[in-house]
Amino acid sequence: MSNCHRGFFAKTTFIAAAALVLTPLGALAQTAAPASSTPSSSERATTSASKDRWLHVRVISSDAKGETVRVNVPLELAEKVLPTINKNRLHNGKVRIDCAHVDDVDLKALVDAIRTAKDGEYVTAQGNDSDVRVAKENNHLIVHVLEKGKSRKSQVEIKVPMRVIDALFSAGKDELDLVAALHALSAQGDTELVSVKAEDNTVRVWLDSKNVTD
Amino acid sequence: MILLAKAALGLGGTLVIAGAYTMREGVIRVDVDEYRSGGSHVHVWVPAAAVPMAMHFVPREHMRHAVEHAREFMPTARAIVKELKKFPDADLVEVVDGEQHVQIRTHAGKLQIDVEAPSEKVHLLCPLATLDDVSRQLEFNAPGA
Repeated sequence: MSNCHRGFFAKTTFIAAAALVLTPLGALAQTAAPASSTPSSSERATTSASKDRWLHVRVISSDAKGETVRVNVPLELAEKVLPTINKNRLHNGKVRIDCAHVDDVDLKALVDAIRTAKDGEYVTAQGNDSDVRVAKENNHLIVHVLEKGKSRKSQVEIKVPMRVIDALFSAGKDELDLVAALHALSAQGDTELVSVKAEDNTVRVWLDSKNVTD
Repeated sequence: MILLAKAALGLGGTLVIAGAYTMREGVIRVDVDEYRSGGSHVHVWVPAAAVPMAMHFVPREHMRHAVEHAREFMPTARAIVKELKKFPDADLVEVVDGEQHVQIRTHAGKLQIDVEAPSEKVHLLCPLATLDDVSRQLEFNAPGA
């Protein structure tokens, strides 16, 4: 081997070795980056593959401490994890409700009645302190509560697809099938399930295909 | 002289490849700082690849003891880790309460848990693949497995 080739070979070997040594250092530096240096939520905002559905919960309290809770859970993860939790009333993704007859109301019969009924207003109550409205619209059960009291004002809106309610009550007489409900929920499009707006806090539960809260 | 150079090159190459493999798997990082007199300050960096290997050297009896304690949570932990690996980076849980801040998220294939309070700061970073390996080994060592 000529001196020229030998020099070239030595240089190439040195560069390759240096690259091998430095690559893990780069990975290490990336790994060791402190939490504060990671990109913000908005920078990392990505839309997961369309089949991924994310359940979001956001609670913001407007008191002095300004408590905030944000939870983002992939529905598929919840579907897979729930059946592994067998504690107290929760078993195999189902939760046991000891008394399906709550205050002499047969919940399952009530759900069956709502499911088979046509769209319409079921309860409309208007008072000085509060307005309540329960209705079925476009295969969604809608509950709307507006508190108008002087001391406390709040607005609660719940919108649950009927398919989810059906799935929830599909298990047995005294059980709620949470996994079936989550599975039914995953087939829904982007939807807002719960919205609570009160003077001291706001709560929002919604479903979309994004992996960040907002 | 040439023989010595060859031996050094072989040793160096082995070290480089071993280092590259170890670091490619990532690092488990644990930082605990307690801001009080006598408070502990723990900063541990462990190559993630070393953990599953090191578990092979843990006496079987100790491993079984650990598994018995964790048995109740093992299926849940395994399911969470297995599923988390499928999804992109996400802030899973974030709680802010005054000066306290708790965050659980996945970032670049790692589970990151940060707890910040006026009295203490805890940062935990662990590759999901390592958690999967560890939980698999614990399950393998479970009595009756």
